[in-house]
Amino acid sequence: MPAVLTVDPRSGVPIYLQIIEQVKRSVALGVLRAGEQLPTVKQLAIDLTVNPNTVARAYRELEREAVIETATGRGSFVRTDEVEASPRVAVEIGRDAIELALREAKAVGLDRDEVRAIFEAALERWFSELPKGDSQ
Amino acid sequence: MTYIEWLRIRNCLKVLAIILVILVALAVVLRVSVARYMSPAQWVHHIALDPGTHESNVTLPDGTKRMILDNPGEQMHALIDDHGSAGTHIEVTEPSSRAHKEKSNVSVGSIHVVESRHGTMTTTIIDTNGAVPMLYYMAIADIFALIVATILAAPLAREINGHLELTLTKPISRLRYALGAIGVDVVGILAASVMTVAAFYLCQLLFETPRLDFSGVNTRAILMGIACPLAWYAMLCAATTWLPRAYGALLGLIPLGLLFVGLLTLVPASNVVALFVHDVAWVISRFDPLTYVSVATPNSEGSMDYSGANFGFRISMEALFFVGYGALALWRWQRVEA
Amino acid sequence: MSSIKISNLRKIYGSTPAVDDLSLEVPSASVFGLLGPNGAGKTTTFKCMLGLARPSSGEILYDGKPLAPESFERIAYVPERNVLYDWLTVDEHVEMNRRAFRAFDPARARELLSQFGVDHRKRVSALSKGMRTAVMVACAFARNAEILVLDEPTGGLDPVNQRHVLSLIINEAAKGNSVIFSSHQIGQVERAAEMIAIIDRGKVILSGLVDDLKADRKIVEGIFPDVAFSLDGIANDPRVLRVDRTERIVRLLVTAGAGEIAARLSASGATGIRALDLNLEDIFLYAVSPVTATTDIVTKEQSS
Repeated sequence: MPAVLTVDPRSGVPIYLQIIEQVKRSVALGVLRAGEQLPTVKQLAIDLTVNPNTVARAYRELEREAVIETATGRGSFVRTDEVEASPRVAVEIGRDAIELALREAKAVGLDRDEVRAIFEAALERWFSELPKGDSQ
Repeated sequence: MTYIEWLRIRNCLKVLAIILVILVALAVVLRVSVARYMSPAQWVHHIALDPGTHESNVTLPDGTKRMILDNPGEQMHALIDDHGSAGTHIEVTEPSSRAHKEKSNVSVGSIHVVESRHGTMTTTIIDTNGAVPMLYYMAIADIFALIVATILAAPLAREINGHLELTLTKPISRLRYALGAIGVDVVGILAASVMTVAAFYLCQLLFETPRLDFSGVNTRAILMGIACPLAWYAMLCAATTWLPRAYGALLGLIPLGLLFVGLLTLVPASNVVALFVHDVAWVISRFDPLTYVSVATPNSEGSMDYSGANFGFRISMEALFFVGYGALALWRWQRVEA
Repeated sequence: MSSIKISNLRKIYGSTPAVDDLSLEVPSASVFGLLGPNGAGKTTTFKCMLGLARPSSGEILYDGKPLAPESFERIAYVPERNVLYDWLTVDEHVEMNRRAFRAFDPARARELLSQFGVDHRKRVSALSKGMRTAVMVACAFARNAEILVLDEPTGGLDPVNQRHVLSLIINEAAKGNSVIFSSHQIGQVERAAEMIAIIDRGKVILSGLVDDLKADRKIVEGIFPDVAFSLDGIANDPRVLRVDRTERIVRLLVTAGAGEIAARLSASGATGIRALDLNLEDIFLYAVSPVTATTDIVTKEQSS
């Protein structure tokens, strides 16, 4: 787990958001499996050299978004629901990335058809040969 | 809490100890080099060398070795009682010469010499290892104690110069810290006195078993020897606490300055300017603990008066200075900021 | 419990206020970063907090109570400047701490000293500036204190030891203790502190959770088709702190609502609209020196 998580405190993205994103990504990719235990807040704070309260905030947020669950006294775990977290989170991540790309495309003045052409081409390149591809 | 001050005292007393050890070592050298002159019997031996002298030796019941020398030709009669390390008593009766005074009574350290003339004959009585007044010891101890007091007299200024962040963030109030530091300095100064007395006692012990006299003027000397360095310390402590940046200069210059003021009080009032200088110096010297230190005052006949007149006043002044100057230092310390 | 509350602190030296009506609150079990340019009043604030300087007015409470001598059993302080005794050895400093503080752990102090690479037998006069800082830090963190006040605790340290100090700070926070520290290394504050206050000329000019400040503060950038463009009152929005116009490009520093303001910019005819994230250094520079910050952001954007 610590090997998967890294944060860049110098970035403009809040550290707790970076942690949330990376945990979600790990869950989507199956690096963190359902029921798997996450490091304690204290441990992760020490491993990443970031403030424990910041880590705690990320965990609270992940819990609110139903990605993890915390059992008092036992620690935090990736949630095991009837609906598994992994595919749901994967959809979220993909959607956010495409949203961001489309917003940027619009901002630089591309029209609907131009974007569609680019999108089709990209889709072809990433999803025809490789069964599992990186969406970014 | 006063660990740092203890370390400062330790360093200071280490230097004092080295100096005293050197003094004792010098005394040992002296003792060894004069070994063969030391016996009073040998000292009078040259009298015995006179061919007309008749010598007889007896040992008294108390162990005293008595030598009697008689020279009827020169009308000389001498009696030498050797009490070992407790001293020697010598009585010499001989015809008066010009070197003899009418009557004299002289003490130098532990040696007392009394001369008295009866007609044409003079009797000289010499006692070695008489009672040594503590006054002598205290005079020396006082000098060392004053030097130690001067070196130590900036306990608060030393903290103010760059250590307040450590000193004032300990779980102790400012007042208790300062009282503690001053308290251990007082112990250090007294220790310096005791060490000095001990070292000089040891030096004398190499030559004879000293018999110390604690009576009268000597008691007063001991009290003054304790009080004066402490009052002196408090005065310098107040000065350094008020001007902490210059504490080194203050510790060096105040003693010199007061010495100079002391000299100025001796200026004869020959004209208006001299009178003015004298008066100013006199007023300043009233605030100097050293002004009140003398255990003897010159009397109207020009000799010294050891009777202890004014002693109560003088010792009270020292106590007042210690408390007053100390309070001044504490008052400033309470307000100091980092 | 280990909270600190400073209310309306003012400290005036002569006629110039070094700290001017400063209020801030460090909650229990948190790490608070104090940022500010040189001479902003950080050290004076710390000195007032610790009773080393007498506040001209204002109040400082620890868990609701004013500072008392006994408080120093719980409060450890690392001053900015070297205050060690040159003539003592490192060991003697450890001994001094052992005698002064009940909860001080000499074994822990020696362990930390060796981690920092300080030879404990050496005299302080033989130590470098960084090693002296390390001695003060090691003694402070061996105090088992509940509140740590650290004024530039990484001054003169090499990057490895700086990171070590950060780990120690984080460890304290994880134990439930509070740390308030100042540093010129904004990156360190960004990592270790959850809350910051930026002070300038004795006043708090910005404070809050680091992550919230980063999430809220953005630069919204747009390009207009013509040099003569109107912002249609966007500049008057209270959330817009600053407007920089260079030719056809406008950059707005916003404190919140970046999305909404971007939309309004778009509605008034701008294209190429984007919101730039600000890291703590950017936020700091905008707070204390907006001119430097603008140039900095622009050059950074161009080079990346």
